[in-house]
Amino acid sequence: MTDDSDVKRERDRHFQQEALSCLPEVTRFALSLTRNESDADDLVQETFLRAYRSWDRYEPGTECRAWLFTICRNQFLNSRARVQREVALEAPELEARQAAMVHDSVRDSPLEHTWLRADLAPAIQRALAALPEVLRSAVILVDLQDQKYEDAARVLGVPVGTVRSRLFRGRRLLQEALLTYAQDAGFVASDQQTDRGSDR
Amino acid sequence: MKFFHRHKHTHEHEMLDCEAVMRQLWDYLDEELSPDRMAAIREHLATCARCYPQYEFEQSFLTALDRAQQEHSNPDGLRNRVAAALRAEGMSEI
Repeated sequence: MTDDSDVKRERDRHFQQEALSCLPEVTRFALSLTRNESDADDLVQETFLRAYRSWDRYEPGTECRAWLFTICRNQFLNSRARVQREVALEAPELEARQAAMVHDSVRDSPLEHTWLRADLAPAIQRALAALPEVLRSAVILVDLQDQKYEDAARVLGVPVGTVRSRLFRGRRLLQEALLTYAQDAGFVASDQQTDRGSDR
Repeated sequence: MKFFHRHKHTHEHEMLDCEAVMRQLWDYLDEELSPDRMAAIREHLATCARCYPQYEFEQSFLTALDRAQQEHSNPDGLRNRVAAALRAEGMSEI
């Protein structure tokens, strides 16, 4: 016979095992959203408190990390009273082709190897921060949190096709911003710079 | 056609041209395609001088993005803070 305290202890043990073990990933996700450690700390704490209070609604066997990301992002959007900006999106296939154009503009130039620079990280973080939230969340979930498209779609509450469009657009905007930054920052000698976007 | 060559690369199951590979390159890098399509694109990339540099470019971009991820300066402090908040909420000792 088990009493209520045993049930609660088992529930808490399960929460600790399933949810609290995701603390590092939720922290990175919150940091990516807030871009500020103090705000991220508040967001992480609130995420786990809400998850704990709602633990009975978590379906065992489902992706707990994605469930926590959903709570975290919803809380982030609520706390900022942000209205998701509408972003006009192309079909994923068109976005993918446009990404090929980014590479085509720097092919065989020194800028082609920009991503290999170790000192690009702060610029990447700034460029990521500058993305519209709907694009940024898709990039964070798939590229930084290794979520599959389907899991990201659940977190964002949109169809998989929308995740792909947002993700591909976000990546392309990041690449364009970073290549412009690399050129402006003089990552390549001026006589080596390419005329990006010109016909080749 | 400016960006894609029209070379055909035969595959045991299907034939892909460069444009088809470019359209699905992100899905390939994200491992979101069927095993057959993954194999067909892998085979195309291994033999296509036009597509492979594009693949390398996108792959190194994703690696740079992953490496740029901001890390928390005091993860233990945050863990203790969250644990304390959960205990205050009534959670059993962690």
